[in-house]
Amino acid sequence: MNCLKLYQNVSSTYCRHISTTSCLEHLQKMSRVKVVDNSMIGRQSVIKGKRPRIIHVYTSKKPQVGLLGDRVLIAIMGEKKHAYIVGCVEKQKANVPRFDTNNVVLVEDTGIPTGTRVLVPIPSCLRGKEGDFTKILSIATKFV
Amino acid sequence: MKIELCSFSGFKIYPGHGKKIVKTDGRVFQFISSKAESSHMMKRNPRKINWTVLYRRKLKKGQSEEISKKRNRRTTKFRRAITGATLNDIMAKRNQKPEVRKAQREQAIRAAKEKAKAKDAQKKANKAASAKAAPKQKAAKQIHSKAPRVGGKR
Repeated sequence: MNCLKLYQNVSSTYCRHISTTSCLEHLQKMSRVKVVDNSMIGRQSVIKGKRPRIIHVYTSKKPQVGLLGDRVLIAIMGEKKHAYIVGCVEKQKANVPRFDTNNVVLVEDTGIPTGTRVLVPIPSCLRGKEGDFTKILSIATKFV
Repeated sequence: MKIELCSFSGFKIYPGHGKKIVKTDGRVFQFISSKAESSHMMKRNPRKINWTVLYRRKLKKGQSEEISKKRNRRTTKFRRAITGATLNDIMAKRNQKPEVRKAQREQAIRAAKEKAKAKDAQKKANKAASAKAAPKQKAAKQIHSKAPRVGGKR
């Protein structure tokens, strides 16, 4: 796209219509996600190549975007499962690590984690959260 | 709070500075600045980048002062008493004259030789006695025992 051709009296500033804002990497509906515990379903989805997707984000905020520590509904291997977000690709606040993949830990409806161990480091800012997180943190091996 | 080291440059990262990234395989990297981070993403080798700690360590930059200080250390020999020999005993043994030592050694050797002779004589007697009973016998293993070192511990 050459704007210079249309406006020849304009000074020689070169204009290009390209967006330079970076990708937001929001975790919302239909976002693909990586299961990080050692549950059977998680491993099966990796083998079969049917990566789990988020179908609902349980927040009351207006753009339903999943942040670190949010509970989420996931469609995995034809099933609906709850999960907690344990790592985001999105740029985080200071002192919170950024992950290269959107990590998620599968959880039953009752809140008990499906797997027995989490293989990937978990941000230690999740330690302050109560409730179901204590169970997830107990099966975690490494903290970041 | 823990002061971490930058994974690329080796500088100290105080709390509130820098970035932390977790890669897909679970490895964690800390970077002090976007300069360090970008260099890492470009897959630069920190050992070739002049301003990093790894480079300076590899080429031993600015370390000559530390090395010269360390050379002056010397271990002091410390003599102390042991159970079975007080310090005086040890010192007496140490300061024995070589003639005395030699004489003692020869005495010990003679004693040991006589012992060995006595043992051999006994063995022969035993062998003759039991040779009728059991014709086949295992040859007795000769154990070489060191003559006790006269003159104390070195």
